[in-house]
Amino acid sequence: MWSKAVNYVPEWKTWVEAGLTLLAPLVMRRLSTTLRTWVGKRSPQEPQASTAPPSDPLTGDFQAEKARLKQQLGRNSDVHFREFELAGSQTPAMLVFVEGMQNEDLICNQVLKMLMQEPLCTEGELDQLSGQHLGSYLQDRLLPLPGIPEVTELLELKRSILSGYTALLIEGLPRAFLVGTPSPRTRAITEPTSEALLRGSRVGFTEMISENTAMLRQQGRTDDMVIESFEVGSRIQRTLAIAYMSEIVNPDLLKEVKDRIAAINMDFLAESGYIEQLIEDNPLSPFQQVQNTERPDRTISALLEGRVAILLEGSPFALLVPVTFTMLIQSPEDYFERWLPGSLLRMLRFLAAFLSLMTPSLYISFISFHPGLLPTELAITIAETRQGVPFPSLIEILILEISIEILREAGIRLPKPIGPAMGIVGGLIIGEAAVQAGIVSPMLVIIVAVTAISSFAIPMYSAGITLRMLRFIAMLFASVLGMLGTILFFLLLCSHMTKLKSFGVPYVTPVSPFRFNDWKDLFIRAPLPLMRHRPNMMKTEDKKRRS
Amino acid sequence: MFTRTDDKITSTQASIFLTDAVLGAGILTLPRGVTEIVKTPDVWLSILFGGVVIILVVFIMTKLSQQFVGKTVFQYAKRIVGRIPGGILTSLLVIYFIVICGFEVRVLAEVTMYFLLEGTPIWGILMPFIWVSSYLILGGINSIARVFQIIFPISIFILIIAYILSTRIFDINNLRPVLSNGIMPVFSGLKSTILVYTGCEVVMVLVAHMQHPKQAVRAMITGISIPLTLYFITVVMVIGGMSVDAVQRSTWPTIDLLRSFEIAGLFFERFEFPFLVIWMMQLFCNFTSFFYSSSLGISQIFGLPFRSTVFGLMPVLFLAASIPQRINDVFSLGDYIGYASLGMFVLVPVLLSIVLLIRKKGLKQHV
Repeated sequence: MWSKAVNYVPEWKTWVEAGLTLLAPLVMRRLSTTLRTWVGKRSPQEPQASTAPPSDPLTGDFQAEKARLKQQLGRNSDVHFREFELAGSQTPAMLVFVEGMQNEDLICNQVLKMLMQEPLCTEGELDQLSGQHLGSYLQDRLLPLPGIPEVTELLELKRSILSGYTALLIEGLPRAFLVGTPSPRTRAITEPTSEALLRGSRVGFTEMISENTAMLRQQGRTDDMVIESFEVGSRIQRTLAIAYMSEIVNPDLLKEVKDRIAAINMDFLAESGYIEQLIEDNPLSPFQQVQNTERPDRTISALLEGRVAILLEGSPFALLVPVTFTMLIQSPEDYFERWLPGSLLRMLRFLAAFLSLMTPSLYISFISFHPGLLPTELAITIAETRQGVPFPSLIEILILEISIEILREAGIRLPKPIGPAMGIVGGLIIGEAAVQAGIVSPMLVIIVAVTAISSFAIPMYSAGITLRMLRFIAMLFASVLGMLGTILFFLLLCSHMTKLKSFGVPYVTPVSPFRFNDWKDLFIRAPLPLMRHRPNMMKTEDKKRRS
Repeated sequence: MFTRTDDKITSTQASIFLTDAVLGAGILTLPRGVTEIVKTPDVWLSILFGGVVIILVVFIMTKLSQQFVGKTVFQYAKRIVGRIPGGILTSLLVIYFIVICGFEVRVLAEVTMYFLLEGTPIWGILMPFIWVSSYLILGGINSIARVFQIIFPISIFILIIAYILSTRIFDINNLRPVLSNGIMPVFSGLKSTILVYTGCEVVMVLVAHMQHPKQAVRAMITGISIPLTLYFITVVMVIGGMSVDAVQRSTWPTIDLLRSFEIAGLFFERFEFPFLVIWMMQLFCNFTSFFYSSSLGISQIFGLPFRSTVFGLMPVLFLAASIPQRINDVFSLGDYIGYASLGMFVLVPVLLSIVLLIRKKGLKQHV
């Protein structure tokens, strides 16, 4: 009995392997926790030392103010000081502005002309007007401007000037008037380049946040949409706006978004991509957990689903949270076209996503490991085309995949006139030549081409990148363990995606956790009359789309 | 909070969890295992009878677990029979789970080495499998249930297609005559049919995690009925397609069935490949559910942190899978697991229920 049991005690080699089984994950775990603490250090902003800057009011002593301003702003060559006298009296006055940030016509016609040319009252009256009276006189009767804010603090005055206001200082007045609002140069509204549609509005966001919020308002009239602004960035400040439908959005979600935005601690936020990376749940995941869009119509539909939009000054990309994986594969056109083509195209995109992720790894596992599982004739055909190819299938596919990735990366940077030409040269000629040279098999060119085209069928550019990245990992798995490796990769991906959350919504939501109602808008896009409810997963306040 | 932080699963998820825990290696080995004993085409009757017995067993386990809302067997056993006896009983259960884990992953490795990866060292298959599974388990029961929910429909879809396709070589005469040797062979087969339902002990862990424990009975019976139906169809199809004699000679009869016909005009000539794919995913689920149950058990019995037990169990599972030396050892281990499952049933749910009944009704104690 005992000796029989001893027979079954594994050899020392097995014990070592068992130790390895433990060691590898421990190392991985250690690595991931280190990375996580290192990357995901979401240090909340230290409570701003709320000591307001020492009060430094304007005195009304013109010469002294001028000297102070010149001393503090004079270093900047683009700050201009225009001195003049008020018409009808010798009261000195001064306009301070930054070149190129204000509307010159307005300043000439509405301000300088009024003050320098046409005294509206007699000299005697003007002499009486001093101090308070002069100010209100200017505001009430002289300057035909929609609004004339007043500034009494030097620091505030400085900031206003630098942000593009034109300041008017007058002898004897202990404040300054901001007579010209900044009018930055903007570009025209153009079609969104990264999300072009055949059918749908042609409007895309621009870099001006006020224009973007206005575009949202112009989508339709509602008193439900709320747009709140925050200032972000510790050294250079930018305006960040969040938009939501107050009667739809889940208040907990809204609070979570605001909390995460409040925790942003960065000197400058160059693009909404910064925000995305600073508020996402898991910085180590290959999947994006925030959706970005250039389209106002997509944004407004997201708001109606109970999601929250985040807009940043200077970025034409709005962020939408939360997001699930399936949302990245949907396109607004699904809803604009009739439901049958919409559904079919959507399924086609799911297929494309699968192909762009799995085709190379399936190729490797079939060619290198299990040719016996293919139909005999197909296996023979492939074997014939691979005759003379000197590399194992992994190397073969890596050569072509990497060159096509390089081509794609170069294609973005190529000047427009030669871009298509280079694409043809790169894609067709290199592929053809590689086959002729016997480095790769013609079958593989088909595989790689299908993969590359499939990854462009995904409407979100960033989701396409994710799948491109993961494809290489899948290839590695397949090259080590064949089909089993591919299956393990799929299971690993499933495990990761089910663990992943975007603002508390599980990443693979309508599939799992299973929400039957949301399946109407998953693989198929049900006819509009059937879509009576907002997505269940957003846990909206108002569940019904129609009363 | 907007997010759900409690580790609860819905009733559907619980049903799928149980299905995935039971539907494992058996689908490949069951037809031969039972046929070898019964030796007549009445195997399907044994499966049905075995199923009825198992539904009863699951019912008892669910009822017992429902007495302690939110507690797993590892926690309530201590309350029923006392700290030390409860600890010993549930430790036995944990060891049983670990052995099943080792068995499942070993069968996977054997099938993979036989059909897909000839010449690959066994550790190369066992290790990544254990690692991926532990990655999932660290996400808690919610993540596990969600992955099962993704895999389950795929498996069912492929299985049904496989069975529909195998109707081409189905011959009803292979299933005749019914009861040629009387009813006795059917009962002798009962013993080995119960083996394929091993693993339904997870019920006692599962009910504790249900969001609505009141629906537990329905969810669990549904969960056990799905594999019961699938096993039934498998046996009928395999014997109908291959005849009793051929099934007894084959190591993996279900795969041989799918290999024995060709489909013209599809990408795959034979359906064995998609079947192997889903079977591997199914084994992954199976393995994961026992891995989870055993690590949860250890952490609850000995009061250890869950993460550490998951890590600690990895080498143990590897060893458990490496102990059988030949494939025949694996099969006899499977038989022993079957007997152990009977023992486990008597020891854990029945004993605990009786003690609980005596203490509640007889001694009027508050447990």
